[in-house]
This record gives sequence, structure tokens and C-alpha cells, in this order.
Amino acid sequence: MAVFDTPQAAFGALRPVCVQLTRVQTVENVRQLQAHLAGVSGAALQELQEYVLFPLRFALRVPGPKQERLVQSLVQCISSVLAATCVKKQELLQELFSELCTCLAPPPSSGKAAPLSEELKLAVIQALHTLMHSAYGDVVLSLYQPSTLPLLGFAVSLLLTLAEQEKAKQIKISALECLQVLVLQCDCQEHRQLDEDESQQCGDLFASFLPGISIALSRVIAGDVKQGHKTTVSAIRLFYLIVGLVMADKQLARIPKSKEKLPVEHSRISELMIHRGPDWTKSTAEKLSLLLHKVVESSSVHPHWKVRLELVELVHHLLRNCSQSLVDSFSHLLKALVGLVNDENSEVRSRCNKVLQEISEQRIVAQSRALADVLSENLHSLATALPRLMNSQDDMGKVSTLSLLLGYLKLLGPKINIVLNSMSHLQRLSKALVQVLELDVTDVKIVEARRSGPPGPLQQGVQKGRCQKKYFRFFTEEKVFQLLQQVCRVLGYYGNLYLLVDHFMGLYSESGLYRKQAAMILNELVTGAAGVGVDFLQEREVPLNVDDLKGSITSILDEYMDQVNWYLVTSNDTEEGSPEQSVQHLGLTARAGGTSSSVVLLSPEPPVTTRTINSNIWQICIQLEGVGCFAAVLGKEFRLLLLSALYPVLEKAGDRTLLISETALGTLADICEACAYDSVQCLINENSDYLVNGISLNLRHLAYQARASQVLDTMLRHSDASLLPLVEDVIQDVLSALDQSYNSQASTFLRVLQSVMTALVQWFGMPSAEEHQQTDKGHSRALSQGQQEVTMTSQEVERFFLDYVSQKQIAEGDLPDLEEEEADDAPLAKPEPNTDTEGEAPMPSHAQLARDVMERCIHLLSDGSLRVRLKVLDVLELCVTMLHPHGNHLLPMAHRVWPALVTRLINDDPLAVLRAFKVLCTLAQTCGDFLRQRFSKDVLPKLTSSLLSQAPVSARAGPVYSHTLAFKLQLAVLQGLGSLCERLDMGESDLNKVADACLIYLSAKQPVKLQEAAQSVFLHLMHVDPDSTWLLLSEVCCPEGFEPPHASLQPVKLSGMGRPRNELTDNVLLLLQRLQQQEATGPKTSTQEASPS
Amino acid sequence: MHPWNSTVGSASLKLMLKLLPRLFQRRILIEDSMKSKVASLFTALMALPPPDPQFVLRGTSAAVHTLYFSCGGSEPDIPLLYSGSESGFIHVWNLRTHRVDTALDGHGRKSVYCVETMGGKDRLLSQGRDQRICLWDLAEGRTSVTDSVFTEHVGFCRCSLLKVAQGRWLMAMAARSLEEIQILELPSKTSVCTLKPEVGAKLGMPMCLKLWQLSCGSQPVLLAGYEDGSVVLWNVSMGKALSQLVCHQEPVMSLDFDSEKAKGISGSSEKVLSIWSLNEQQNLQVYKTHELVNAGISDITIRPDKKILATAGWDHRIRIFGWKKLKPLAVLDYHTATVHCVSFSDHSNPRERLLAAGSKDQRISVWSIYAQT
Repeated sequence: MAVFDTPQAAFGALRPVCVQLTRVQTVENVRQLQAHLAGVSGAALQELQEYVLFPLRFALRVPGPKQERLVQSLVQCISSVLAATCVKKQELLQELFSELCTCLAPPPSSGKAAPLSEELKLAVIQALHTLMHSAYGDVVLSLYQPSTLPLLGFAVSLLLTLAEQEKAKQIKISALECLQVLVLQCDCQEHRQLDEDESQQCGDLFASFLPGISIALSRVIAGDVKQGHKTTVSAIRLFYLIVGLVMADKQLARIPKSKEKLPVEHSRISELMIHRGPDWTKSTAEKLSLLLHKVVESSSVHPHWKVRLELVELVHHLLRNCSQSLVDSFSHLLKALVGLVNDENSEVRSRCNKVLQEISEQRIVAQSRALADVLSENLHSLATALPRLMNSQDDMGKVSTLSLLLGYLKLLGPKINIVLNSMSHLQRLSKALVQVLELDVTDVKIVEARRSGPPGPLQQGVQKGRCQKKYFRFFTEEKVFQLLQQVCRVLGYYGNLYLLVDHFMGLYSESGLYRKQAAMILNELVTGAAGVGVDFLQEREVPLNVDDLKGSITSILDEYMDQVNWYLVTSNDTEEGSPEQSVQHLGLTARAGGTSSSVVLLSPEPPVTTRTINSNIWQICIQLEGVGCFAAVLGKEFRLLLLSALYPVLEKAGDRTLLISETALGTLADICEACAYDSVQCLINENSDYLVNGISLNLRHLAYQARASQVLDTMLRHSDASLLPLVEDVIQDVLSALDQSYNSQASTFLRVLQSVMTALVQWFGMPSAEEHQQTDKGHSRALSQGQQEVTMTSQEVERFFLDYVSQKQIAEGDLPDLEEEEADDAPLAKPEPNTDTEGEAPMPSHAQLARDVMERCIHLLSDGSLRVRLKVLDVLELCVTMLHPHGNHLLPMAHRVWPALVTRLINDDPLAVLRAFKVLCTLAQTCGDFLRQRFSKDVLPKLTSSLLSQAPVSARAGPVYSHTLAFKLQLAVLQGLGSLCERLDMGESDLNKVADACLIYLSAKQPVKLQEAAQSVFLHLMHVDPDSTWLLLSEVCCPEGFEPPHASLQPVKLSGMGRPRNELTDNVLLLLQRLQQQEATGPKTSTQEASPS
Repeated sequence: MHPWNSTVGSASLKLMLKLLPRLFQRRILIEDSMKSKVASLFTALMALPPPDPQFVLRGTSAAVHTLYFSCGGSEPDIPLLYSGSESGFIHVWNLRTHRVDTALDGHGRKSVYCVETMGGKDRLLSQGRDQRICLWDLAEGRTSVTDSVFTEHVGFCRCSLLKVAQGRWLMAMAARSLEEIQILELPSKTSVCTLKPEVGAKLGMPMCLKLWQLSCGSQPVLLAGYEDGSVVLWNVSMGKALSQLVCHQEPVMSLDFDSEKAKGISGSSEKVLSIWSLNEQQNLQVYKTHELVNAGISDITIRPDKKILATAGWDHRIRIFGWKKLKPLAVLDYHTATVHCVSFSDHSNPRERLLAAGSKDQRISVWSIYAQT
């Protein structure tokens, strides 16, 4: 189709159709016109605009009923004309506007809305839409004069009715969009920006419609979900746009006090006009608040996310524009906004966060006292309801409630202090937090879980920054706890730290019920105050003062580590706990002093239940975690506080309750990291002076000795020899404390002494095990010369004689090569210069310590408790190992130990006997000669005679016998005797005695265990003197005969030969077999070793 | 704070003592189970645990012979404690961290038995067994000896320092010849006078000195304790003995003097503390003596506020007395060897005041006691 560019050409083309249409108004004619219009260019059409519109308008205006289809096509045609042209005349605009509106209006006769077709309605709405867009900027304003108010109102009400009552989504949405254009809030960018006066004027005008629009829209918004989200979204958008326009703070601020008089001719209209004075604003805001509440209620839970997103926009828009006029509604609005922070849809969440961020950044809240009041009011009511909600809601509900709380706090930002300064607010909030954070203390496992065995190296179980998982009474979800944490941190971040710390310290000391929660909150407060792990919307105004923080932390630490709060009953073991507790109780009251002391003492002591213990354990853990937090917060500054904090933490690291010791280890790791120490060991090493101070002072009190020794124990395990001077100092304290309380505290101190000695042996002692081996080899070498197997060649017989001669020499004490070997061994075994030769030289301090400890052991060897005796024997062994290089000092000590040790060997519990044998073995390494004599004189006769006398008893006894003391004693003696004989290098007669005594225990009638023990004795004897053992055994039982290698030798006759099998046979044969094995392997090594010498 | 420190303990004890008979007689008032509680409270109060040191400084690795506090500075200044040890080191202890800040070595590893600051903590005077008195400059972390005086005295007599004007001190010290005392002006080191006892007085060596003046600008006076147990008052400007009093049978080990009350106290190796006063005519007279349980006092110090005094005993104990009536207040038992010296701190806030004692057991114990009174 041809395009008509010039108006003339276009006119020529359009004229016939227009005339035709004017004459006969049919759908066909309209269609023809429309078809022709398509070929006309925009510029040309603009010239002909009125001309073309005339027939169309004429057709519309023709009185009488019209065909709906005709009207529809007319309207569509108008719309297409308008789309291509602009309306430049005010009259034209107004007329068109009213004509279009009339199309929708019901016929004046019937009062009801005309039952028009949906297509028509849509066409009219679109035409209106197009009309508004085609009007020039200035021209469009002519519509918004007081005089046109009725017309506008008519249009608005029409559109609202459509939006509200129509079924079709398309119409609803178009109507809403059209309305949006009508109130000059179109989304498209084509419109001219209104200046202030103009918008003010429009605002005045629209104020008249506000009630109608807002009510209708709120109904749409709250309408059925089935209407589709788009409708709701458009309605919400329109709602906030119009409210934002009419209630804008900027406009309201410029409203004059009194209504201005309009010219007389407009008097009726002026009645319609609204004066947006303060009264009106107030009443409108009240009404809007109700509507907003309704809107928020329905849309915040709308299933479609776009609706919720639009709600965020609503809040944003209104907050930005109407923060003063609509202040009362903000409690709902902010609630909605804050609640949506945790929306399931990420877009809503991020937008919400952004809006919150923006609100904070622009300091809308900070600048407006009223808003802050609203928020704090909300906060108050929420805090009031919080405990109830926490009780009743499920975890999801709790999450939303708490995120609401968190949102309020974040929004308040620096204004939090207004809330905190009000006592009732603070109290509500803190009570709520404390109640919510109540821990579940019913778990028995926590009480029962004990650290197994001695604590391993600290490094092992340490993972930094790890909090113990806590179990709460009112929730299980981890998210809830995280939210609570954030709440506290945000409080700490913005709030006045002194005030908060003071308040929660008050709660902490107020009641045991609140203590744990208050401590938890305090920890988080401080973390938050330092800005660690806080998720905040805006920076605080005043940066943190480190000195303030330090001051707060110091006072909290003091409180945490106060006797009353740090030393709680954490176990119901009576064995160690009770005496300490009672003493502690006394000490405690003495310390508390004054009025409180009498209260403490006079109140009947409550029975310690599992629940209490559990609670105490948790309290200590929380406090320990707090220490870790504080360290992390202060960083290197915390080093100064180590003076008072390290000792108590280390004390807890040695606690017997698993949870506590684990937590304490975590705390140590935290401290390490914060104070920039490489390892826990480093931490302990560098601060050992502080620790030693604490230990030494605590050792002065009976009640604290156990704990002090625990710390020393831990410390020793993690330091090295460089600390000896310090450690030495404190060990002297330990010894003197022990001297004063041998009876009550012996077992405690023995543990320390043991760790002291273990540490010393580790630091200074020579590797004693190696030495054992060395001397062992020496023995076997010396002895192996006598062990050359007698094989049946003449050379070997010759060798046998040679060996015999050398044996003889050895027996006479002439040992040339043996001495040589020992001379070789000495420098190897003893790298330290101070060997026995310089005995008079002053002992090194560690050896002195060992001697001092040994001295105490002598006293304690005869202690009444078996436990203590066993421990003493262990310590004694370590002391002996330590004093090895200092024979001149060891021998006198050994002399003094001897009587007590003998008693242990002869007349004690089997366990002690066994340990005593072990000590004796160790002692034998250095003072063999000294012991050999005494042993054979003091101990051996008694042991052998008791063994002999008991043998028939045990041989006869039934299975129950193995539970008797006598049995255990026999067993212990038999188990110990063998190794001792070997170590002591006993003489032949003694060995014979031993062998004789043990032989009967090889009897099959004896209990199996005793047989085995007796076998072990003989195995040891084989090491010492294989020949005589062989002979002895062979005398009992000899399975084979021996052919003499040469006829000149007499045949060998052993009494065991050819004996019938008896009770001893089995064991003896077994032993002989072992002997044979040993000799088969033994000579090989001995010849190898002997060859170089 | 230690409860022992407060008066609460003793007050409630008094109250208990008053109430006790009534509580135990009238059955209506108190049940039997309560009685035991009351009894235990009573024993708790009676057996107040002995006080502990606030902390103990370790690490001198030698016997401690002298201590001197410098805590008068305001907040940013770190309170310090100087200690002189047998190994010849002067340790500067930081009382915040409780650790040695610096160790000064200037006496050739010979025992240091007197340390004192000369106006501010940057200038230090120390006296050692190498027969030298050293003046130290410690400003800006320096550790240098700026000047020294060779005393030629072989005894243990500590010198005594008195500030007479801004930047001008008088120092009394035992001189080379046995009985003489020399007064020097510092920092110029010019000799002011030499105090010689009359011929035939047979006082022996001076053992301890105390230089003082009644008020600023008045005549400096010296109190000197001698080997024969007598205390002599010397007029420094005239070089003349004003008065002499035999206080002890044994050498005077230490003395201190309260110029306000014109009363002094001295200790010797005996079991007696001797308190003497100075009357208007500048005569020394015995005021009172106090018997001790164990013999031997190595140091006596009156607290700057003149309320209490502390003695360092050979029996390893520190004893605290009220200065007014010499009422025994406390026995501080911590050390395991002879206590060599006691010193009170000069904190400007009385609550922070400390007492330090140095001992042969190589430890320095620091106590906070009677800080409130």
C-alpha cells in the first residue's frame, strides 16, 4: 500500500472514507478508515488529526443505542490515531477523555453498570491509556485542574470498579495500569517530570480520591489469590505510588495552614477539594495505617514471590517519602520488611537486605526520633512476647521471630542506646534472651564422660575456635542459636558496652539460673563489640575504644575466675572430691567475708544432683569459651591478662570431666592464636613464670593443692629442660607442701612427683632402656664364653677345655678382656662427663631434685594406702634412674631405702611386691654388689622358704585358690624373681636356692599361671647360668642319653635319665627345648661378637 | 582483694564472739543443725588463712639484697621495681607484666646491696660489694653508668641519700677507715665533711645510715647505727655527734626514722626491736623495746605514710607492726630463707600500695596488705 507522506496526499486518501463514515456509521466503514490510516505517515496524520477524529467522535456521539461492536471499533480506531499523533489542544484532550469515559458509563436510565462486553472495556481502557500518553506535557496538566475534578473522579471510579469487579485478568491489569498513568505515575520514561508546584497541585487533587483508591486497592490486594500475582503486584504498586504522592512529607510540609479560597464560580468544586492540613493528615494516616496493615498482612504471606518483592518496594517507597506522615504505620511496615529478610526467595532476600542497607545508610532511622521510637516500641513488644513465642512456636517460627528481632536491632543501629537506656526495655530484652538461651542440663553423659587416662600431649585434641555444641531447652535448630548469637553481637556492636556488661554481670550474679545464659551473652557481646563476626547494616558512629573493651573484659574475667564461679562441683566422686570440697567450702566462706558469708554457710547445703553438676560443667565451659573469645578479641593485648587467666585455664585443661578439659584445650588454642604463640607448648613455656607463680601460691592452701599440682603436671608435660630453674623452685614448694601434709595429700602430690621425675628423666636422664641392653650384651658376651656348645669333635673338646680354663680364671676374678669391654662401654653408655669418678663434685640440680624426691619416697614407702605405695614405687624407680650417673649419692639413698623396700618385697600386697621387684631391678643396674649381698641375706631366704611352704598348698588347691591373696603373692614373687636374679647377677648358691624353690612350681599339679611364672624364672636363670640350669633340669628329667665323644671319658650318668614321666616332666622338657633353641642361636651371635676382640 | 585485707573478717569475728553464748544457750533461737553451722563459721573466721603474696617475682637466680620501688608516675608510666642481687645484677621489674625489663650489670658480678633512684626513674644509684657506688642513666633505654664513687669501704653499710635542692643530693656513706662516715654532695661528688667518732669511743664500723632533715632547707642530720649496737645522731654541717644511745648489744643491722614523730626504730641480730625518740634537746632516748620470737632483723622500713612498718627477719618471715604503738599486725610467711630487705611502694593511690620483700631464696614476694588503712 502506498504511503502518504504529505498531508495533501493523505487528505486525498482519507477524505472519502471519512465522509463515508460520517454518513453511515458501520463497523465496515470504521475498518476501512483504519485500513487507510495505516498508510498515512505520522507527520501527515498529525496535521489531519482533528479531521480524522471528527467522524469517529461524531459516530460515538450519535444519540441512541449503538451496536457494541461499532463502539469497540470506533474506540480502537481512535486509539490507533492517538497512538500515532499527539494531542496538542486542551479542549480536545478533555473532550476525548470524557467521550471515552462515557463509553464505559452505564446508560443514565439504568443505575447499574452496563453489561458491556469485555473486549469493549479493554478497548476503552487502552484508548484512555493511549490518550494519556499522546497528550503533550503541558496539555495533560490541563486535565488536573480543580475544574476537571469531577471528570477525573468519574474516570478513577470507573477504572477502580473495573479493576475490582472484573473477572478477566487482562482488564484488571489494564485498568490498574491506566489508573497509574492517570495519577501521573506511569512507569515509562516518556513523561515530563513535574516540578514541585505542579506535583503539589496534583497531590491536592488526588487527595480527594485517596480514600476511594486506597480502599478499593486494598481490597484488590487482599483479594483472591486466583486473580493472579500480576494484578496484585500492579495494585500494590499503584497503592504505594498514590499514597507516596499524596502523603509525601515534602508536599505536606508545604501545605499552608488554612485552605485557600477558590474563586466563587468553583464553589461547588471547592467543596470537593481537600485541604491536606495536619488534621487531615492525621486522620488519613490513621485510616491508611489500617489499610496498610491489611495490605501487609495479606501480601507478606503471598505465595508468589513477586508480590512479596513488591511489598518490599512498598515499604521502601513509603519509608523514603512518607517517613513522617505515616509514622504510625511503620511498625507494620518494618515488621514486614525485617521479616522478609529471611524470605525463601533469594531475590526478595537480597532486595530486602539492600533496602535495609539503604535505610540505614541514609540514616532514616537515625535521624528520625519518631521512627526510632516506633522501632523500640516494636522491640519492646516483641521482647515481651519472645519467651512465650519461644515456648510455643516450632523452630521455623522461632527463626522468623528471632530474625525479626535481629532486624529491629540492626535497623536501630546506633539508636539502640535509646532502647538500652530505658530500664524496662533493657530488662525485657535481657530477660527474653536469658530465657530463650536456657540450656538443657539433663544429659547424664556429660557428667559421666571422663577423660580416660592421663592427658595426652596438648597438641593432640586441640582444634581452635571450636565451641562445644550446646543443647537448649527451647530449641534444637542450629539456626536459632546463630540468630541469637547475632542478636547479642549486634547489641554489643552498637550498644554502650559498659551499660550492657554491667547489666548482664548483674544478671550473672543475680541467680544461678541465669548465670550460664548471661555468660554466654556476655561472651557474644564482647565479640560483637570488637566487631568480630557481626553482620551489620551500617558502621557505628563511634569507633571502639580499646581501653574500654579491655576494661570490660578484665572485669568479666575477674568475675568468671572468681573462686565462687570457677571452682564448682563437677563430679560426684567421693574419692577425691569430698574432702577438697568441704575444705574449699570453708575457704570460700572465709574469703567471701561479711554478710554474704553467713548466708552461704547457713543456707542448707543442697544435695548435688546430676542436673546441678551438668549445669556447673556447662557454666565452666561457657566461661572457658568466653576466655577464648576475649583473647581473640584483644589479640596480643591479651598477653597482659595471661598473668591472671592462664593458670585457671590450664587448671581446667587437666580437669577430669571430658567436656571441660576439651573446652579448656580449645581455649588454650584460641589464646595461642590470639597472642601469636606458635603452639600451646610455646604459650606455656613463655609464660611459665606466671604459671609457677600461681602454682606456688596455690600450693600454700590445702584446698587448692590438688589443682595446683594438676597445673604443674600439665606444665611439666609441655615444657623442656630450659625451664628447670623455674620448675625447680616450684618443686621445692611442692616438696615442702608435701612435708606438711603427708597424710591427706600424699596421693595428689605423688602424681606431681611422678610427672616431675618423668619429665626430668626425659630431659636429663640417659636413655635407660638402652643402657639395659648394653649391660645385657655385656653379660651375655661374658657368659657366652662359657656357653660354647659341646659338639662332638676333638677340636671342640679342646676348645671346651680352653674355655673351662678361662671360666676358671673368671671365677677367680681375673677378667682381662671383660674389663676391656667395660672400658669400651663406659663412654658409650655415659655421655655425661660427671661419672662416678668425680663423685664429690656438686650434683647438678636435677639430680639434687631427684634425691630430694627420693627422700620423700622413703617416708611414703610404708604408707597405709596401697595406691600410694604403688605410686611411690613408680616414682622411686624414676628417681633411681635419674640418680644413675651419681652413684655416690645413689648408694647412701639406696641404703636408706632398703629396709622399707624389703618390707614391700616380703610382706605386702602382690601388686606392690611386683612393683618392688621392678624397682629392685632398676636399682640393681647401679648398685648390684650392694644389693646382691643384702638381697641374698635379707630377702631371698624368706621368699624361698615361703615359696616352698606354699607350694604344697597351691598344688592341692581348687580353682578358687587363684582368687586368694596367697596365690597372688606366689605369682608376684615368681614373676619378679627371675628377672631380679638376672639383673643382680646372683651368685651360684643363691641361684640354686631360687631354682630349688621354683622347681616344685613346674609341677603340673600347680595352677597354670604359677607354672608359667616358674617357667619364666627358669628362662631367666638360663640367661645367667645355662649350664647349671641344664644340669638341674636334666637331673629331674633327661629325655636322651649322651654318648661320650671318646672312649677314655666316662659315660655320663644323670639322675633324670630314664625316669618315668612324672608331674614335672612336661615343663622341664619344654624348658630344655627352649634352652636348646637359645644355645643354637646364642653361640652364633657370641662368636660373631667375640671375633673382633 | 584478699579478705584478710579488709576488716570485715575481724568485725564478724567479734560479732560472732558476742553472739555465740546466746546462740548456744537458747534452744528456741537456733536448732542443733544450725549450731554446727555456726560453729563451723566460727572456726572459719578464727582460722583465717594466712595471707598470700599478691605475686612472686622469680628469675634473679641469686639472693636478693635490696629493693626499690618507682611507682609514683601517672597512668602511661609503668610501675617499676628495682632489685639488686648477689650476682651483681640490678633487675628492673615491670610491675604490669611482672617480668624483668632490663638487667643492669655494673658491679663486676659482686653483690649489689643498695639501689635507689635520684629523682625520676631514669637516674639510678647503686652500691655494690665491688666498693663502688654507680650512677646510672636509664633514659630512653640506655643502660650506662655515668659516674661512680669508689668508697673503699669493705662492709655492708648501705649509703643514704637525701635530696637537698633540685638536682642536688647529699649522700652519706661509710668511708675507708673503719669508723668514719663520709658525706658527699652529688652529682658533683665534692666531699662535705667526714664524721669521725671521738677517740676511744670504740663504736666499730657504721652498719646503717639514715640521712634526713626536718623540713626542706633545714639542717641535714644523720643517724648512724654502729657495730657495737649504738645509734649516733650526727650534725652534718658541724661534723659533730649530737647524741649517742646504746640500743643493742649486737651490731645495729637496720634503722629507720620518722621525723614527724621524732621517733626511730632499729633492729639487730638480737631478738629485740628498739624504739627510740629524739627530744627537743636533740637527745636520743630509749622509748620502748619489743621482744621478738626469733632473733635477727636484716631490714626495717616504715611505710611513707608512717602508719605501719615492716621488718625482714632471719627467720624467713616478714613482720608487720603498727607504727604508733608497735602493735604486731601480721606475720607474712612465705620465704624459705632469710629475708634480706623490705620495701614499700610509692604509689600515689594508697589502694595500690605494695610491700616487697627480697630473700636469700632468690624470690621477691610482693604483697598488698593494709592498703586501705
